[in-house]
Amino acid sequence: MKITFVKKIKIDGSPCRKCAEVQSRLEKDGYIDKIDRTVIADERDNNSEGIQLATLYEVDRAPFFIVESDVGDPLIYTVYFKFVNEILSGKTNEEDTAKDILDSNDLDFI
Amino acid sequence: MIIKNFDPKQLAQEYDGLSPAAIIKLALKSFDKIAISFSGAEDVVLVDIATKINPNVKVFSLDTGRLHPETYRFIEQVRAHYNIEIDVLSPDAKAVQDLVRSKGLYSFYKDGHKECCSIRKVIPLRRHLAVLDAWITGQRKDQSPDTRNAVPVVEKDAAFSSADKNFYKFNPLANWSSAEVWEYIRSNDVPFNALHEQGFSSIGCEPCTRPVLPNQHEREGRWWWEESTQKECGLHVADQKK
Repeated sequence: MKITFVKKIKIDGSPCRKCAEVQSRLEKDGYIDKIDRTVIADERDNNSEGIQLATLYEVDRAPFFIVESDVGDPLIYTVYFKFVNEILSGKTNEEDTAKDILDSNDLDFI
Repeated sequence: MIIKNFDPKQLAQEYDGLSPAAIIKLALKSFDKIAISFSGAEDVVLVDIATKINPNVKVFSLDTGRLHPETYRFIEQVRAHYNIEIDVLSPDAKAVQDLVRSKGLYSFYKDGHKECCSIRKVIPLRRHLAVLDAWITGQRKDQSPDTRNAVPVVEKDAAFSSADKNFYKFNPLANWSSAEVWEYIRSNDVPFNALHEQGFSSIGCEPCTRPVLPNQHEREGRWWWEESTQKECGLHVADQKK
């Protein structure tokens, strides 16, 4: 299994807050060593590898994870807790999970 | 009961042009473990339609502890008017206490609303939905043209599905405009939250919602101080034409 972590640089050149937060959680939760590659999606450069991957897999948010194995299509995760639960068989705490859900879904109507 | 081979994509196409009542009928026919999410605003229309189909329909509301007094009174009014039980869900007391102790009562103005909403809304919601198979919401396309213009009338809810279980969401009002909702409310003598008479279009927690001016979009009445960060997680491809 090969895991690629794609994080973005915003159009103004600044780093993405959410990407930094997810990287910090990977480190804090002890999963950073599971990441084989970290790739940058630079919003200023359509040819950056991360933008190319986002286009290829039709991902419209960042950060995201690409999980490749010998069988089947790559799996794409845009939600940290689902990635951790389903790929790393780990657990995330309830508050972080709730924040992930809010970050990744339109729940303004509740 | 869960309809075997429930196919939300196909049903979304089939029901897209049908009435909210038809969509709610489909929802209640398809799932026993289903409930309406009632926010205390104009989604009362869902309650009105659903109770005509099934007077025992399950309804829940999220009590964040920070709602307007008018909203608490309105939830009570709806309970009495339709003679229904409403599950009023509270946040975890310790989580709220920890947040308030460490960051105060208005941390959302500085840190953004998501931390507070996670504790007061999403965690109780997630726990409640865990025992259901589907929910019915008042989500409409016209509430946020940027992010909701593709809201289907029924969908697999990725936010609350897991590797073990698919979870579904019905949005019977997806294709109705605000004007159509209010036409229904007036025509059917449906009770409504008194805040609407004070200029509130979007009704949430008291510190996080405000009235809007005529022709101002309703989303401008909620979390107005953090508008610029709303889409930070999106990936935007640069226009590199010179």
